[in-house]
Amino acid sequence: MGKKAIGFPIFLVFSLNIIGAAETKLSMELWNRYTLERKDDKTEKNAFSVERGYFRLDPTFTDNIKGRFTLDFFSSDKYSDGAGLKLKYAYVEFNNVIPIPESRLSCGIDKNYFGTVYDWEYVTIEKALEDKEKVAASADYGVFFTGFIPQGFGEYAISLINGEGYSKAGSKVNINPSPVINLRLIPLPGITIGGSLLYEKAGFIDTIKTEYDKRMLYAGVARFAFGPLDAWFEYLSQQLGVTTRGEYKETMSQGLMIMPVLRLVKPLDFVLRYDQWDPNTSKEKDAYSTLIGGFNWNILHDSQGLPTLFIQTNWQRKMYEDSEKSAVDLIMVQLRWKFGNTLQ
Amino acid sequence: MIKILPKITTIIGLVFLSANSLFGAKNNLTLAGSTTVLPIAQKAAEAFMDLNKDINISVRGGGSGVGIASLISGSVDIANSSRPIKAKEIKTAREKGKNPVENIIALDGLAVIVHPNNPINELDIKTIKDIYTGKISNWKVLKGIDQPIVVISRDVASGTFEVFKEKVLKGEKVRDDALMLASNKAVATTVAETPGAIGYVGLGYLSEEVKSIKIEGVTPSEKTVRSGEYKLARPLYMYTNGVPRGIAKDFIDFILSPTGQKIVKETGFVPLE
Repeated sequence: MGKKAIGFPIFLVFSLNIIGAAETKLSMELWNRYTLERKDDKTEKNAFSVERGYFRLDPTFTDNIKGRFTLDFFSSDKYSDGAGLKLKYAYVEFNNVIPIPESRLSCGIDKNYFGTVYDWEYVTIEKALEDKEKVAASADYGVFFTGFIPQGFGEYAISLINGEGYSKAGSKVNINPSPVINLRLIPLPGITIGGSLLYEKAGFIDTIKTEYDKRMLYAGVARFAFGPLDAWFEYLSQQLGVTTRGEYKETMSQGLMIMPVLRLVKPLDFVLRYDQWDPNTSKEKDAYSTLIGGFNWNILHDSQGLPTLFIQTNWQRKMYEDSEKSAVDLIMVQLRWKFGNTLQ
Repeated sequence: MIKILPKITTIIGLVFLSANSLFGAKNNLTLAGSTTVLPIAQKAAEAFMDLNKDINISVRGGGSGVGIASLISGSVDIANSSRPIKAKEIKTAREKGKNPVENIIALDGLAVIVHPNNPINELDIKTIKDIYTGKISNWKVLKGIDQPIVVISRDVASGTFEVFKEKVLKGEKVRDDALMLASNKAVATTVAETPGAIGYVGLGYLSEEVKSIKIEGVTPSEKTVRSGEYKLARPLYMYTNGVPRGIAKDFIDFILSPTGQKIVKETGFVPLE
């Protein structure tokens, strides 16, 4: 990671105020993690790391024009200095430009409004199912139209994105943008149902070697929140159209996630999660499942009751359908902490 | 996967049962939010606790946004707000199983105030907007004395700021050098101590130490706020999770009663009737 990269956000803080943002929220969030990985009674990993180091700038230019810029600094063995850098969000949003109440149009790298990945709050240390199985990234380049259904009955999003995710750009992106549609309905307080659809068609250019010609990704989401219990459910399906030696075939991947979270006492939550993923439903013994159990302890909150210092402990076991493959156990402890200020 | 589903269903069932056992009655009521509503809430809480010795009510400020976020996170029973709840806030609340219900407890007018020595007595909304956006920066432009205008505003978490933004600024931003203060009291005190200053506060914060000016020829008062004649009028809210029940209902009923509305009037705001 270049030293210039560190100077860049500092430059931005000053320049945003000079060019006239009415206010700029400046914040930093860090995830310090300890990971112990065991397989076949052997330790595969026993290490401390900084998994995320989000540096955020949220400038407000006018009531209706805002922006977000987020850099992610993280531990990585891919670079000689042991740390990597990713551009996570970089967008400007225009509110109510289209005469639809409570609507928003943004362009740049924004959230990928698909399934649970766009509002995933990392209740478990593990990522959202679609992110974990690498079928949908949490952010992407594109144009996004989002809004709220009046009276709190839900939200919608229609976007046109690259489809390859925020970590791929230039020659790693095919020539066909992907449309994404998302709808969440909240018919009654505590009951949320929704679904998303992403369609991607591979563009035939030499630099891209995709494993498919076209891809259709569906997600069905449900959430039930009553009193101290908050339970999430997701069904995920991916259809791939592949041409091999002139013959076109379709394959399907399927998975689900069930995640109940129980508030035990005010600062302490207990979380359970079960994931299942079958990468190819027509193949035998390639599926696997993950069971996660853990506690989240919200040590400090900001004035709005949102956690600013947060400890997560997760035990996680990955089990394979193929009985010859050994299960993998992970124990993770993560300290998430954030701080920030508003420059006016 | 299918084999493990009955186990998962059992676990979820057990978790639901445990959740039910955690619900229980309590004798505490917590309120947070708007600093405009704060004096009404504080005085009403004192009077209510005098009548109900076994009940403890805690009231804090923070701004309307903070109050509503606290209601959604479940850390308060009542969110005090000087602006209506936003679409995003309702959606987030409903997702988390909360159902914010609006209870209007009083009316208020945003009074525009200047230093008592300022000879200006009246402004229109467009002129106030020009002052706050920086187009007018000296009182002499308005036939006042040759003195730079010191713009005092509320911070962005404030419902008072949201209402001022909607009714006066109409989408434009406050000039960069404006002082953004965290409470009505701080605005009133700063304007009282700063010649050339202009600010805005809820009616309950008017005193002889500041001068309230007419807006479009109308003085902010109980009569003009209630009649709608005063352009910068607004309702004041207490949001609850669902229709108020238990102590929250008793407390809101108390504020809406003749005794509670008398407290509203005593604190300088406008009773509903």
